[in-house]
Amino acid sequence: MRRVALNTAAAVTFVVMIFPVYWMVITAFKPTKDIQAETPSLFPLSPTLQHFETAMGAEGFWRFWANSLLVTAGAVLLALIVALLAAFAVSRMRWRGKGPFIVAVFAAQMAPWEALLVPMFIIARDTDLLDSLLMLTGVYFMITLPFTIVTLRGFLQAIPADLEEAALVDGCTRAVAFRRIVFPLLAPGLMATSLFGFITAWNEFAFVNVLIIKDQANRTLPVWLSSFRDVFGTDWGATMAAATMFALPALVLFLFLQRRVGAGMTAGAVKG
Amino acid sequence: MKHRFLALAAVFALTACGSTPDPAPSAATGGSPSAQAPAKLVVWIMDGSVTKELLGSFEKEYEAAHAGIDLDIQIQAWDGIGERVTAALASTDAPDVIEVGNTQVAQYSASGGVKDLTDKTADLQGSDWLPGLAQPGQIDGKQYGIPWYAANRVVVYNKDLWGDTAIPKTRDEWVAATEKLNKGGNQGIYLTGQTWYALAGFIWDEGGDFAVQQGGKWVGALDSPQALAGLDFYKKLQALGKGPKDADEANPPQHEVFAQGKVAQIIGVPGIAARVLEVEPGMKDKIGFFTIPGKTADKPGAVFTGGSDLIIPEASKNHDAAYEVVKALAGEKFQTELAKAMSFVPNRTSLAGVLSGDEGTAAMAAGAANGRATPNTPNWAAVEATTVIKQYMTAVLTGGDPAAEAKKVSQSITDTLNSGS
Amino acid sequence: MTLTTQAPPRRGQHRPPAAARRRANPWPYLLIAPAVAGGIFLLLYPLLKAALISFQHFRMGELIRGGAELVGFDNYRELLAKEEFWQVVLRTFVWTAVNVVLIVVLGTGIGLMLARLGKRARLLLMSALALAWATPVIAATTIFQWLFQSELGIVNWLLGIQGFAWFADPVAMFAVLVILVVWQSIPFVALTLYAGLTTIPNELYESARIDGGTGWQIFWKVTFPILRPLFALITSLEIIWVFKCFPQIWVLSQGGPDGATTTLPVYAFKIARVLHRYDMGSAVAMLTVVILAFALITNLRRMLKQEAAA
Repeated sequence: MRRVALNTAAAVTFVVMIFPVYWMVITAFKPTKDIQAETPSLFPLSPTLQHFETAMGAEGFWRFWANSLLVTAGAVLLALIVALLAAFAVSRMRWRGKGPFIVAVFAAQMAPWEALLVPMFIIARDTDLLDSLLMLTGVYFMITLPFTIVTLRGFLQAIPADLEEAALVDGCTRAVAFRRIVFPLLAPGLMATSLFGFITAWNEFAFVNVLIIKDQANRTLPVWLSSFRDVFGTDWGATMAAATMFALPALVLFLFLQRRVGAGMTAGAVKG
Repeated sequence: MKHRFLALAAVFALTACGSTPDPAPSAATGGSPSAQAPAKLVVWIMDGSVTKELLGSFEKEYEAAHAGIDLDIQIQAWDGIGERVTAALASTDAPDVIEVGNTQVAQYSASGGVKDLTDKTADLQGSDWLPGLAQPGQIDGKQYGIPWYAANRVVVYNKDLWGDTAIPKTRDEWVAATEKLNKGGNQGIYLTGQTWYALAGFIWDEGGDFAVQQGGKWVGALDSPQALAGLDFYKKLQALGKGPKDADEANPPQHEVFAQGKVAQIIGVPGIAARVLEVEPGMKDKIGFFTIPGKTADKPGAVFTGGSDLIIPEASKNHDAAYEVVKALAGEKFQTELAKAMSFVPNRTSLAGVLSGDEGTAAMAAGAANGRATPNTPNWAAVEATTVIKQYMTAVLTGGDPAAEAKKVSQSITDTLNSGS
Repeated sequence: MTLTTQAPPRRGQHRPPAAARRRANPWPYLLIAPAVAGGIFLLLYPLLKAALISFQHFRMGELIRGGAELVGFDNYRELLAKEEFWQVVLRTFVWTAVNVVLIVVLGTGIGLMLARLGKRARLLLMSALALAWATPVIAATTIFQWLFQSELGIVNWLLGIQGFAWFADPVAMFAVLVILVVWQSIPFVALTLYAGLTTIPNELYESARIDGGTGWQIFWKVTFPILRPLFALITSLEIIWVFKCFPQIWVLSQGGPDGATTTLPVYAFKIARVLHRYDMGSAVAMLTVVILAFALITNLRRMLKQEAAA
């Protein structure tokens, strides 16, 4: 009886969560005429790749992919490294100003990024960093950094300090102890955190819209994703096809992490 | 990669001449021939304004005729365009020519970031420009925006569904014909609840307007009896089909709905026919057009003149060369090609002859005689962006009290138009 | 997915490594230096600039030509005198409360469910969650706009109602936005909590069950206390995110109908980037941060205390 209830609930949740995504994907395969049909059909009756062709045929498609990957990966990696150092200091060391630092990091998540658009633009303009992927990477790095520190600190605290101390007693240096003992246990945490950063940076539109102006080859994918609209309206088929492709990297990353992290986590995480 | 180096070189060139942005009046630099020929000119054209083929051939011909100039025509997506243009105007190395909507051009001109081209109007035969494009490009007698093209809406109908019903010449005939067509599984007209450009025409027909100037101040006027009568007609017409009351004509795109073959009429620019055919090629020869009927048969319905102007940012580094591009784009040769390819009205009334051959553009030209523009103030763009008019339409169409809703929206328009700059 | 819990503070038993106890150890400061530097240049500096703008006359003209003038508290005075501003503040609180409660409750429920499902079913559900999470905001928003369309929308079709205009009704519009935001936010909460649940030793549950606890009691007596820090973290993050949520609302409703969905970020956007009053938009943003900080002050205090005790 309880099993049935549980499975029903799970099935309902599954349907509700997946339906909009499902709708996005099947729409991408429907001919434009079927998309606006009076009675919606739950699967493409005459599937077509036409929308994917439109989406991939857009100017600068491959450049935008490369730019997005570069900027996102750069921002996420940088944030991971910087956050790891800070998280280590916070969770393994005692020092004056630690409390305020943590509170500041937490408060940084409240940053009104929308309102920083104009100041950021002015800063970029005055330092000749408009049209530069570097500036964009910096902004995305900063947007994801506070969250990355907070969560990595959580992961680090969950790994007993005794393990490292034992290694230190055995004559390892601090760095070696960290690399050999803590890092493997922390790997799942690093990956999980990176997924969040990835999704955030990957989706960002407002900053790239005003920071990359004249050198359009430096635009990123969200610009492409929102480009299937003109004065006559949105080309839904092409938008959905583009969105499907756009969501793929995050999904692949998740599945990859899922496999890695699933095993590592239960073994390594929290025993005390 | 090459571009990157050029951009870098440009940056160095800038620092060499002193990098503080100089807001000095551009007239000073107007006549001086630039010492070094600019390598690259960036031109922003909105997505959907011009076909790729036409732009391609223009670029080729222009570069052939102007040695040393590399035209980089960048198609701009609509999402976020307002911010992008603002950022471009505020940058130190802006694109050299930008296409902006004729309801948007005033706010950019007023900001001080657009080059004053008053002394070029004679050279461009400005006496002949369409007022609906020239006026919004003008502030305090100075011409900032150069008219590029216009389009106004017509009724696009499905000949199969229409049958032998006579083409209506008055509103009453129009409603009667639409009622007749709104039968069975067919919609007499697919008019979404937020097609405010269509509402504009109906309001003007009644003698009302969105806003009027009173003692140097703009006042929202949708609560005038005339404006309310316009909305009342809109409501009557809208009910003769299944257009969603809470959406505009772009979502879902009305040409895709029309292509289903069950909608007798839509209101749109003639160029929309090409979009219908992209979705349903079988509708070739089945699409007809007529001018939006007025209250009486002797005068067509008033229509909103939509379109674009071209501007040159102050922050462009190549004002003179940019002007040459504007001149070519606004000139007779390109205008003729553009009007034919896109079913647009050219920027000068004397060029209107090119439209006569085609049913759609002919219907449009007939309506254009009674074309009007939105209130000519830099803040109008903000009224559009807040979508208050659309929300007002939806509220009334879904049963709200017209007088009360109109009062609210008029107040909101008044506030926005007088919010200062 | 996998955020482990922050271990509850372990007073007394926590023994910091020897090196950390020495006085004036430069290492911690060196380690946080990159983060601090990034924060100063990429966050604090622009933030101060934004704060400055809020005390200036800064509109489109000033952005393009430069030369903004200081006007003291004029923008704030004008803003605070508006009745609309206070309505928006109140609405933002309602918006945040409704969303966060739904997100945390449903997310917890799904997290608990994940822990009890069979392996295959769990992977399936987790993938669905990940898919929803990975769907780009612009796509999700377009899809929802479409699902709830009055004439061709699938929701009306499924519910068998003719032409109900969701986007015309203030309450319905608000509800659609809540559904969208909750749908997008649940995956993070559910997956994080599930990861946290897997860290609770099974023995704890067993002994509770032997003591005759019902599922409900076990949750409140065992699960919740252990995961309390995680709940606190998730709740505060969601408060921040929902409070600041913007693109979904703007695309679907532009804050309408009749202002029913205008929250603080939407309000700030309207002022700053539609009316081009960057000065007052900045003022709204500054006040937003202050309000948010106040809303979370107990949480911030608790964090400070915890650190002091550790």
